[in-house]
Amino acid sequence: MEQLSLLDLVWNATFTVQFVMGTLLLASMVSWYMIVNRYLYLRDANDEMYRFEERFWSGVDLSQLYREGNERAADGYAILGMESIFRAGFKEFSRLVQQSEMDSEDLIEGARRAMRVAAMREEERLERHLAFLASVGSTSPYIGLFGTVWGIMHSFRGLANSTQATLATVAPGISEALIATAMGLFAAIPAVLAYNRFSSKVEVFSNRYDTFMDEFSGILHRQAFAVRTREKKAG
Amino acid sequence: MNTSIYAKPIMPRIVVRPALATVVLHGLLIFLLTANWVSMDRERIKVKPLPNLVNARLVDVSDLKPKPRPEPVKPKPEPPKPAPKPEPKPEPKPEPPKPEPKPEPPKPKPEPPKPTPAPTPKPAPKPAPTPAPPKPEPVPTPPKPTPAQQSSRDALARIAQDELSSTSNEPAAELTATADEMSASFAALIKRTVQSYWSRPPSARNGMECELEVQLVPTGEVVGVRVIRSSGNAAFDSSAENAVRKAGAFPELQKLPPGEFEKKFRRLNLIFKPEDLRY
Repeated sequence: MEQLSLLDLVWNATFTVQFVMGTLLLASMVSWYMIVNRYLYLRDANDEMYRFEERFWSGVDLSQLYREGNERAADGYAILGMESIFRAGFKEFSRLVQQSEMDSEDLIEGARRAMRVAAMREEERLERHLAFLASVGSTSPYIGLFGTVWGIMHSFRGLANSTQATLATVAPGISEALIATAMGLFAAIPAVLAYNRFSSKVEVFSNRYDTFMDEFSGILHRQAFAVRTREKKAG
Repeated sequence: MNTSIYAKPIMPRIVVRPALATVVLHGLLIFLLTANWVSMDRERIKVKPLPNLVNARLVDVSDLKPKPRPEPVKPKPEPPKPAPKPEPKPEPKPEPPKPEPKPEPPKPKPEPPKPTPAPTPKPAPKPAPTPAPPKPEPVPTPPKPTPAQQSSRDALARIAQDELSSTSNEPAAELTATADEMSASFAALIKRTVQSYWSRPPSARNGMECELEVQLVPTGEVVGVRVIRSSGNAAFDSSAENAVRKAGAFPELQKLPPGEFEKKFRRLNLIFKPEDLRY
């Protein structure tokens, strides 16, 4: 025991402490996986949102835009975010508009409902994994603490049995036990930071979606009104 | 109605990059933690050998060699009083067991280490007493005034005086210089102490060399001694080990700033050679 190496400490730890360390390592790895995964996903969703908004407000015909989406979907692209809200709303609208007994209010109501459903699903996708990050962030310090307490208990019990009580008999045990706390914090801190950051981002997204839904219903409203009056005049 | 769109939510697959990032991050972390642990120890070992101090400590064999280097040590520790006393003893006879440890550490005041005075190691102790120190000690110390030494003495006296005056002028320089000087002087102290406890076995031969790793705690106690490199002669190795154990503690180290202690003295390598004790 000339020099305590970190690895030696871990190898020689009590089973319980090792188990705790293993759990924490796993939690840390999974949460980092999710952090990177969410980061990439949110980044893509952001890019996608800007791209779509630009396209949407460029004055392109809505059915043209819908068809473009169809093509992209056929090519295997995933339709995400704002575009899928748009597609849900537009599809519903064009179906309802063909039923001439519905007035324009009902049309808009139907389209909004479809968009709301789509928006919920989008938020669900955005929020995926965040719950896991939150639980890693809040529980892993406790798990680590448990490992530490257990390890210290253990080393003090060893102290009671030894005739010569020196610091050296307990020190390795305590040192090993503290590694568990360190690991718990190591897993928890990034998870908490990422959780806060991502959930605020998701919040931003859902606000944007809501705004878009309102704007889009306004457009649909005008169209519905125009269609119905035309029909009335014609019929 | 919506089924066509929602039946299969297509999630973009983001798997490879996060998985890679995770593995790389954790691998790097584990590597750093474990590698660092080991390398820290190594570094310390290297840091310790302070070449200047080392050579200064020739035991009885040759006075000539040691002189040039030792100087830096002395001037630093205590220009005012304490320095002069401790030094003289060690040089003349490294053997004297006890007296040495005490004198050195007393004053952290050490003057600004002047590169100039360096050339003359030994003389330093003697001249110092004469010019400045009011203490009685310096007198008893001078053991062998060889002609060569005498001449160097005068030179040293001059240097010492210069130093004294310069110290008063530049207090700021002192501050920066102290840490290194202190550790240098403590290193010398440790060497001297260990040397005094060392009795070489008859089987020791010139050219033998063994290296010990000594673990110290901040109170200056020795908590562990280990032979890192054996001389090939068990008696020699154990005599070296015993010397360190007998020395037991260097309470003066408590005066070192903790950072300095961690850096240089937590683990310390001592090289033992029959003629001289090397740091």
